[in-house]
Amino acid sequence: MRITRKAAGAVAASATIVLALTACGQGGGTTAEPGSGEELSTDEDITISLAWWGEPDRASMYEEAVDLFESEHPNITVQTQFQDWDAYWTARATEAAGGSLPDVIQMDLSYLRQYGATGQLLDLEGQVGVNLDVEGVDDALLESGAIDGAQYGVPTSTNTLATFYNADLLTKVGVEPLAEGYTWEDYGAWIQEVSKAGADMDPQLYGGADFTGTFWFFLEWLIQQGVEPFAEDGTLNFDEAQLTEWLSMGQELRDSGAIYPIKQTKQLDPLGGFHVNESASEVTWDNFLAGYVAESGEDIQMLPIPSGENGPQQFWKPSMLLSASASTSQPAASAALIDFLINEPEVGKIFGTSKGVPAVQAQRDAMDVEPGSVDEQVVQYEEDVADVVTEAAPVPVEGFGEIEAEFKRLGEELQYGNVTVEEMASQWFTFANDTVVTE
Amino acid sequence: MSAHTSTPQTQSLSNQAAAALPPGAGGAGGHDPNGEAAKAARRGAARRRKGLKALGFHAVMLAATVVVLYPGVWMLTSSFKPTNEIIGNISLWSDNMSVDNFATALSGIGGVGFWTFFTNSMILAIASVVGVTLSASVSAYAFARINFPGRGVFFAIMIGTLLLPFHVVIIPQYVMFNQFGMVNTFIPLLAPKFLAAEAFFVFLMVQFMRNLPRELDEAARIDGCGHTRIFASIMLPLMRPAIITSSIFAFIWSWNDFLGPLLYLKKPDLYSLPIALRLYVDQTSVSDYGAQMAMAVLALVPVMIFFILFQRYIVDGVATQGLKG
Repeated sequence: MRITRKAAGAVAASATIVLALTACGQGGGTTAEPGSGEELSTDEDITISLAWWGEPDRASMYEEAVDLFESEHPNITVQTQFQDWDAYWTARATEAAGGSLPDVIQMDLSYLRQYGATGQLLDLEGQVGVNLDVEGVDDALLESGAIDGAQYGVPTSTNTLATFYNADLLTKVGVEPLAEGYTWEDYGAWIQEVSKAGADMDPQLYGGADFTGTFWFFLEWLIQQGVEPFAEDGTLNFDEAQLTEWLSMGQELRDSGAIYPIKQTKQLDPLGGFHVNESASEVTWDNFLAGYVAESGEDIQMLPIPSGENGPQQFWKPSMLLSASASTSQPAASAALIDFLINEPEVGKIFGTSKGVPAVQAQRDAMDVEPGSVDEQVVQYEEDVADVVTEAAPVPVEGFGEIEAEFKRLGEELQYGNVTVEEMASQWFTFANDTVVTE
Repeated sequence: MSAHTSTPQTQSLSNQAAAALPPGAGGAGGHDPNGEAAKAARRGAARRRKGLKALGFHAVMLAATVVVLYPGVWMLTSSFKPTNEIIGNISLWSDNMSVDNFATALSGIGGVGFWTFFTNSMILAIASVVGVTLSASVSAYAFARINFPGRGVFFAIMIGTLLLPFHVVIIPQYVMFNQFGMVNTFIPLLAPKFLAAEAFFVFLMVQFMRNLPRELDEAARIDGCGHTRIFASIMLPLMRPAIITSSIFAFIWSWNDFLGPLLYLKKPDLYSLPIALRLYVDQTSVSDYGAQMAMAVLALVPVMIFFILFQRYIVDGVATQGLKG
């Protein structure tokens, strides 16, 4: 298993190099004229392929949605395929190198630039208004699927960060949950308080994990300070001093042992202390709620994330996008499938909030949200925080996946005490400067 | 030390022999009661010492067995546990044991049944075994017994491919099979096996064949056999251990292969078990560890059966193949 994973990583890495090389030859994607696409034919037999990552439940949901699509377009057959997250990107990287990506692919924001800028994805702008209707998608959200004016992906759904806390555990140790409007410093102090109160419990209860080790939280913090993390030209827009300041915020927590120990996190991987009710809070994406509730089985509540200097600014992240392959021979049918998946109310009903809250109102309305269910909690949360979600999601730079992984790795080293805050900041910047591809 | 240890052993042996004799048969002992008593005391001590040693040995071995088998047993019992009691929990028992996980695993993924994945894996594994044994044995015969021009060079090239990491060839190979329109068939996974592209097996068989006496084929040649006949009637039967070793490796490698099927099989109804197995744990959504454990157990069964059936030959094959170092 270990070897396989390593092997898969190596393939993904080498395929990335090939992608980068092909990019040099093509000089980026070509931009399509708005609405220049051809009408979808209704008599010709068409087969298109669709790929996504996810677990078996998602597979059943997609199959159901695809069946609906096929009954609405009897001349189109959709060939589906699915893998788990790691395998998915290994397979896509190899296909991209071979110029044979599936016609429609589920896309993640962190990979959008890598595939878009290397000319692997179709500019859907040409299909807008012909086979693809994006009227219902919020402009700022739609913008997050575009690079240099080319619409490489259409967001299907949104998510945003939230602080989860375990209300049952807090009652047990007698600590009040945080009040809205708290800052990152408040959050740190609160973690200390919970860990102190839970020190005698068996198993020992911690207040939370080391939040400074997650790249997205750092980005969020930058945005709250009025810093746009990535510049227009695809470079980093922050410096070592800012990173050091962010990481230092967690130093006291690490020193005093108030955060969930990294050793235990590693043992539980891919779960965390919060899943097994040994940690009272966690900052994460709101659509992960279902997974947390299923694992922990306790009363889990959500709060907006801590606020920074300029207040509680947050961003919507497209939790998932749909893209079409640049090499597709059926752009019209591909666009029609994307259109169906983002707009059709029935599809919204099938998926619920499992991919995040649907981007289009019609799908949100169509969901059967049971009172008191996880779905309701997530939808409610997104409605509640809508006021503080003022920022557009930063479009990740090329190489984002790698610098994010390096951030995580160094963050763990920091928790083990193998590097200092300053060392981590400088090592990460060295890595990022070598990795981030600039045009 | 050696004298000390050997004495009680021989004594206890003779002791056992004496015990086996019917009473009265050892009548000679009656003449020397003192010596007999001393001997008996010595025997008792020796037996106790031996008993203690055996006890210690068995205790250590049992402890080692528990350590080695624990993860396997944990996987087996975890497959009966509810998902939230699996990760971060090393106990073997749960009060909520059920076969639900197996029901989930057997119900398949996205409309494709478990048995489809199983059959695909089986087809791939069996065809790999057939391919490898056929092609590798023929190629090995050529390298070991036929003196064709450039044999040394070709042999070196073949060994060279062992040094080539799989990742170097994977993209060109994918592009090539894609151009041939062979993606989504089993051909990219099986063709190399039938074309003796697995240098490891060829090498293994060449080494084995080099150890077989040449006199045998010379005798056959004198009797008028050609290469085909020598290979089929002389070599093949003698190569049984090497062939069985190769079959076992080929089966297990193919059964466990993840990357190959991932890259070449893009339709869910062509997926093999390792791909299906991974689907239960997707880090971006809800994970069902219980179902994954259950499917892992089901996926292990054929390999276990295969191993138990051929276990004897694995040792045979490895011991006689002449691969040293």
